Amino acid sequence: MEFMKKTEYLSGNRLFRETTIFIILAVTLAFIYNAISSKGIAFFGEWDKDIGVVNPRSKDTLVDHDLEIGSVQTAKRIFDTGNAVFVDVRSEDQYQDGHIKGAVMMPVNEFDRLIDAFQNQYPPETLLITYCSGRQCQDSHLAAQFFFENGYWNVSVFIDGFFAWESEGYPVERDDESNSE
Amino acid sequence: MKAIPNNPWLELAARWFLALTFLYASYSKILNPGQFAKIIYGYGLFPGCIINLMAITIPWLEFVAALSLMAGIYPRSGALLINVMLVLYMIVLSINLIRGYQFDCGCFSPKSHNSSTSWLLIRDVFYLILGIFILRFKNFRKWCLCGFGRLSELIA
Repeated sequence: MEFMKKTEYLSGNRLFRETTIFIILAVTLAFIYNAISSKGIAFFGEWDKDIGVVNPRSKDTLVDHDLEIGSVQTAKRIFDTGNAVFVDVRSEDQYQDGHIKGAVMMPVNEFDRLIDAFQNQYPPETLLITYCSGRQCQDSHLAAQFFFENGYWNVSVFIDGFFAWESEGYPVERDDESNSE
Repeated sequence: MKAIPNNPWLELAARWFLALTFLYASYSKILNPGQFAKIIYGYGLFPGCIINLMAITIPWLEFVAALSLMAGIYPRSGALLINVMLVLYMIVLSINLIRGYQFDCGCFSPKSHNSSTSWLLIRDVFYLILGIFILRFKNFRKWCLCGFGRLSELIA
């Protein structure tokens, strides 16, 4: 306790001053690093689901709102034409639990393994509609970019995803049943 | 033998443990702020206009505070910063625990697995106890570059 009397370290002012310096230092470093990092993000992200898939607007973002199909009804109209291939990019388990009728399973972490078989079955001009769980999920955009890189040029993203489709009562399939509408 | 709360070696162990924990916690979040921003969004508590600013700054606050504890540069201030963050984390966790909200805490990595909220709270209480111990420690501190540890300051 004698030691404490000889120092001013219990001083609230000094503690506050040092802490403020740390905060200023941390915030400064944070913004400098964010500016130079290839994975830096904008100061304000897109977190409004009404606009599209939510995302932090990072420098390496894959989200392209121009590709997005903005409503379940529009996606259903495309589905009804029978000209589009819906691609489910969720996990295999989720796909087996239920997917849009006729959708191709293409889990986002298995693209490299599955793309050859996919290309053998579907030519580059095929209209592809990628989807995942909903507007919080960016995997459908990741898949779209992957398909572009592999020669497909007619790709759109159904941003409302499987659960919005299912809740509308549109055609779905599950592993243990061929069709339930 | 010194009482445990005044043992400098114990303070050093607590300080380094908390420092390493927060250095590890900040590392992945600094490297991938976008993923961390999505996790903050997933908490469902914060307005969109501050999510990115939180994702940019919080990991660096953790990093700087952890470095201060590790190097012994004004460790009381580092501990205070960590304690404040821990209290805020616990408030956020408690709110989501009460409303039964499932989410990824993103505590150590933006891609970390989900842990039960109760377990996360218990863990944060443990960290907070260490943080308070470091903050309230009243004896000479071992291996401090500056701030309540150097001999020159002891006799100043």
